[in-house]
Amino acid sequence: MTDNTVQQRRAILKGMISASTLALVATSGLLLPQKLLAHWPMDAFNAETVEDALLALLGEAEIADDSALNFKVGSPPSYAINGASVPIQIESSLKNIERVAVLVEKNPFPLAMSLEPSPAVKLPFKSMIKIREDSQVIAIIRAEGKLYKTSRFVEVDIGGCG
Amino acid sequence: MGLPRKDRIRAKLKSEDTTVRVLLFHPMHTGRAESAEGVLIPAEFIQDIRCWRNDDEVLTIKCGTATAKNPYFSFQLVGGEQGDKITLRWVDNIGAKGTVETVVK
Repeated sequence: MTDNTVQQRRAILKGMISASTLALVATSGLLLPQKLLAHWPMDAFNAETVEDALLALLGEAEIADDSALNFKVGSPPSYAINGASVPIQIESSLKNIERVAVLVEKNPFPLAMSLEPSPAVKLPFKSMIKIREDSQVIAIIRAEGKLYKTSRFVEVDIGGCG
Repeated sequence: MGLPRKDRIRAKLKSEDTTVRVLLFHPMHTGRAESAEGVLIPAEFIQDIRCWRNDDEVLTIKCGTATAKNPYFSFQLVGGEQGDKITLRWVDNIGAKGTVETVVK
């Protein structure tokens, strides 16, 4: 076999390998935008019960029902006229907060949002969430391996998860 | 809603901490609502929000469908000084992206 044909064969083989890798990548869906967001915790957000969502998001940990967490929902508190935008506020004196999560028990998918603050972030954190019907709203903070959980019952006049 | 169609961000120095307030312009469709014609509106919601102060990433917010339309967030950053640059980027479930930035006042 001459050098020339060997070279050609190498080129062809190389081409085949890169083509098949590309095809693999394309079919595996890596190029889809959803997959680009692989770091979005889909299991937790698509969980249909509070327990499943918490397990998927935070794993197993000791839950300390603690007063270190100050959580407000609705304005006036515990009442919301329009469930499509209910103000929430989370405040805490805890240090080294790794994660903050807000869940609405009766929503189709309970997990509303999850925060990963760095040490530079200071609470209170305020935002707006949707609540489908009268429900417990739960705030959970994970700090130093422990979970701090508190909940508020909120009455909603017009459901907001349409 | 009378809101201008753009993302807004404000950062202000208040008693030595920086208060950041963000209002994003996004419909946040849950994928469950029907339009006036009775057709299901496909899901379209912000999933991932990241915030930087100067070059340090300070906060990540992951949102589900239960975050309200035109999401509003407010939080504080320890310390900071006037002129710090606060940058915030968001990505939604269909891949749309946005960036807003401001300077601490």
